[in-house]
Formats: sequence, structure tokens, C-alpha cells
Amino acid sequence: MAEKPLSTNSTMTHQPARPRQVSFGTMIRRSLFFRRSIYGFLFVAPAMLFFLIFSIYPMVNGLLLSVTDYTLLKAPNFVGMQNYIDLLTNKEFQNGLIVTALFVLGTTIPKWIVSLGLAMLFVREFWGREAFKVLYFTPTLLSGVVVSLVWKLLLNPGGVMTALVGPLVHLPEIFWLSHAKLTPLALIAVDDWAGIPFFMIVWIAGLVGIPREFYEAALIDGAGRAQIFWNVTLPLLRPTTMFVIVTTTIASLQAFSLQFIMTKGGPSNVTTTVALLVYKYGFEYFKMGMAATMSVIMFLFIIVITIAQIRGMRSDETSYT
Amino acid sequence: MILQKNRHTASYNLARALDKIWLYLLVIVGLLIFCIPVYYMATTSLKAESEVVAIPIHWIPHEFHPENYSAAFALAPFATYFYNSLVVAIVVVAMTLFLSALAGYGFAKFNFPGKNICFLLVLSTLMIPFQILLIPLYILVYNLGWTNNYAGLIIPGAVSAFGVFLMRQFCLTLPDELLDAARIDGCNELRIFLSIVLPLLKPPLASLAIITFLGSWNNFLWPLIVVNKADLFTLPVGMTVFTQPLRSPYWTYIMAVSTVATLPVVIVFLALQKYFIQGVVLSGMKG
Repeated sequence: MAEKPLSTNSTMTHQPARPRQVSFGTMIRRSLFFRRSIYGFLFVAPAMLFFLIFSIYPMVNGLLLSVTDYTLLKAPNFVGMQNYIDLLTNKEFQNGLIVTALFVLGTTIPKWIVSLGLAMLFVREFWGREAFKVLYFTPTLLSGVVVSLVWKLLLNPGGVMTALVGPLVHLPEIFWLSHAKLTPLALIAVDDWAGIPFFMIVWIAGLVGIPREFYEAALIDGAGRAQIFWNVTLPLLRPTTMFVIVTTTIASLQAFSLQFIMTKGGPSNVTTTVALLVYKYGFEYFKMGMAATMSVIMFLFIIVITIAQIRGMRSDETSYT
Repeated sequence: MILQKNRHTASYNLARALDKIWLYLLVIVGLLIFCIPVYYMATTSLKAESEVVAIPIHWIPHEFHPENYSAAFALAPFATYFYNSLVVAIVVVAMTLFLSALAGYGFAKFNFPGKNICFLLVLSTLMIPFQILLIPLYILVYNLGWTNNYAGLIIPGAVSAFGVFLMRQFCLTLPDELLDAARIDGCNELRIFLSIVLPLLKPPLASLAIITFLGSWNNFLWPLIVVNKADLFTLPVGMTVFTQPLRSPYWTYIMAVSTVATLPVVIVFLALQKYFIQGVVLSGMKG
């Protein structure tokens, strides 16, 4: 900052402080500082205004709405914790929590393992590596809606997936998207398919960042491949791991378009996630208060899980950095 | 990692060759898994409708019907949806870049009372999932009269906490001397920002532009709830609404529109590949 050299200068001249008679230089400095802080404030203000209006205020309002029976049509009434109590016994919501939990499990852990595995392949040198990498990236270019539509076509009862898998199980038609057991798995597989290439790129960035010396040292010490992976690669990847774990979990907890487009939550609600319920309650039943309560509960889940994950990652002993 | 050992025995060479074969096998299987659905989307868009459900699968269309594209665009106002998506995305990108750069610069290079609290506020909004904002944000936009309106589609997404954070990090690396020199030359603060700081921020701005464009172009949930007049649908919403009542006879059209919806992203990807991957990895958010 520009003020700093000036102030050190004035202490070096050993002038006694004169509280009443403010020197000309100080006045200039003060007015300069004042002008510059005004500018700083002006630079930041437009964005801050947006954040206050479109993030902070809605968030506070969401908490307030969760204790009302607001329906968008009539003025909200304060109902205390009634929405929360109702949700405790709401079968739909309980089902939604289970569906969401299963979806999160299915779309996080496999994603981590497969994308890391692929990344470990891609840090090796081989002919055509860069071309493969770019081609692997293609699913990432599709939007959630396009992914849903393409897979809806592929998972038609008589579609491509049936043609590929059907002969093995001797079925002419497989009802991928209308079978109570199969459908959640199908959606999980599609979400993993869409997400793995992206996280592979993230892992590659992390792996490339590990200095070669660590591996060389481990080799000299006679470590095997598995030992190197567990004791060198993984600990050094911790920042990337944390990023991957937290972002996949948060994204999976909020997943919406797959379920909305491919199954509408069906068959018999086996794919009705909480995100879908929030949409249903808010924009089909117009129970805004109840929908807000659900999203507050989801938010709490997100916070608790994220903190637990970050804690868990930190408490792992060994730190090389 | 390749284990470099000076043991070029026959068995060692064989092991290495097998290793390579395994590697290629895995990589090619992965390639098929990740690329075939995308390939199938593009080829189906050119097929005759009867070919879609044909068994055995027509991996290469037997008849080429490029007119599927014009037919699909004639069937529903996809051109309008495309235009809406493009307008929304461009305005959102422009506003996000400008506001984020402005605020990031302000946070990095100025001191003012309450700065730290403001920055903490920005960081905290970075952690608010959209899930919790959905209902109250809709109510806010509804009360402002912005539903069924470009404003409702654009304004709530017009600034990103991540963008501000990213710009601040880059502005911190700009030398103060440069800015002070400009001040001594009599530049006013806005001019310094526009003609000195902004050009220096090009690389992070490119990454931020790509992320923001992707986010807006692919956004589904927000446009779905904030707009219910058909002529204001964005492409993702229009595609979904259009496909609800349709059954398999229209799959070629649906795939044609899906392909068109993906094209802008492919173009951005090919043109700005370096910034693209960097940006997407930086943000950790896609769509």
C-alpha cells in the first residue's frame, strides 16, 4: 500500500506528535486515504449489492420461510417448528432421504475410485495419450439435460443398452427406467458416466503436481507399487482428494436434472430425491414453507457432511508438506 | 510411473509388453464407454426414425437425413430457445466478468472500513448451495415481477462469489508500483482499472468466462422455475418440455436438438482448450 512508506518516513524524522496542529502532509495523506478507501468501497459495492440481495437475503429468508406455511398466494403464518415436526413423520420425505443417500453413495465413491484409477493410467507415457485425454473429456461437454436425454434413448426398453446386455441375460426387453431395483442403479451409472471424465482431469492435475523426487526416493528405498501409492501418492494428493470428495458429495446431494428428466422420480418414487421433492412441494403444490424447510434440512446435511469430510481428511496423520 | 530398472531380461521385456497391452486395453475400453453415447447422439440425429430402434444396432446410419435438423427446428421454436440461451449466457458472462473483476480489484488493492467483513461475506456465499436459495430466490424474483422476464433469468446469476475470489487472488499479484505510477501520471481510479488492470486480468477472465458461460448455458433448474412462457424458454428447458409428451418416433429430432445444444460448448472447448480445462478444474462446477 502507498501509505506505508509515508508513515515510516514521518517516524524516522523524529518529530514530536502535535495533536492539535495537524501538519499539511498528514492532511493530504488522510484525504488521500479517505479518497482511496472511497474508491475501494465503490469498486466492491456493486458486487456486494448483488450478494446481499440475491444470496444473503434469500438465505436468511429461507430460514424464516421454513417456520411458516407460506404458499405464495396468501400471507405467511408463523407455524413454529411445525414443518420440521411434520417432516419427521412424512413418508415421502423419509423415502426422499433414503433415495438421496443411496444416490450419493453410488455417485461419489465409485466416481473417486474410477476417476483416480484412470488418472493414474493417464500420467503414464504412452502413444496417443493426449488424444485419448481429449476424447475422454467429451461427456463433460454435454449439459445435464442432454446427458439425461441421450441416456433415456440408450436405456429404452428395446434400445442400445438392451441390445448389448439383453443377449447375455436372455431378455428381449429390459426396463431400465421403470424397474424398482434397476432404475436407481441406472441413474447412478449415468451420473458416474457423466462425472468421471471431469474428475479424472482434476486428479491428473493433482498427480502431475507431485515432484518426481518423491517417487525416486521411494524406489531407492525399495518400495513396491502398492506401497508407493498408499504412502507417497495418496498423502501428497490430499488437497486434490479433499476437493474431489467435497465437490462430488455436494453435487450429488443436489442432483436434480437426471431424476427430473429421465424418471420424474419414478417408478413408485424410487428415484425421488429430496431435491425433486423440494421442486414438487414448491412448484407443484406451492407449499413454499414446507419446501423451504426441506431445503434447510438438506443444507444442514450438506454442512455436516462437508465438515466431517474435511475433518476426516485433516486428521489423517502423515503430512509431507 | 514406469519402474526404470536395468534388467532387460526376456521375462522383464515380456512383462513390460504385457503391461502396455493392459494399459491400452483399459484406455480403449474407457474410450468406448465415454465416447459411444456421444457418438450415438450425433449419429442418431442423422438417422431415419425407423433406424433408431433397429436391431442389430445401426452404428452407422444406413440413410442420411440431415433434414432432421430443419424438421426439428420447425416442430418447436428451438431457434427462439437457442437465442434466449445465448442472450442470457452472454449477458450473464459480461456482467459476471465485469462485477467480479471490479470487486476482486477493490478487495485486493484498497483498504476501507468493513473490507474484511465484506470479503468474509463473499466467501460465505461461495459455500451456500443453490438448493437452499431456490425457494426464497424464486419468491424474491416473483415479488420483483421478474418471473417470465429476461431479468429473472439473468440478474440472480450475474455475479459469482467464485469469480470475485479468483479475481482477488490474481489482483494481489499485480505490482503496486504499476498502479501508483499511473496515479502519479494523473490517471483516475476508474481509468486505471479499465485500461491497466483489466487487460492484465485476461487469463483468469478467460477461465471465468468459460465457467460462467457453461454454467449459464447448461443451467436447467433455475430457468425451469422462473419462466413458464414458452417464448422465454432457454434451450435446456425447451428441450425438456418438448420431449415430455413425445415417444420414440421423435428421437432423431431430440438428438438433433441435443447435438445443436452441445455445439457451442464444443466450439468454446476447441477454441480455448487450455483455458477450458484450467477453468473447469478451477471451479469444480460444471453445469
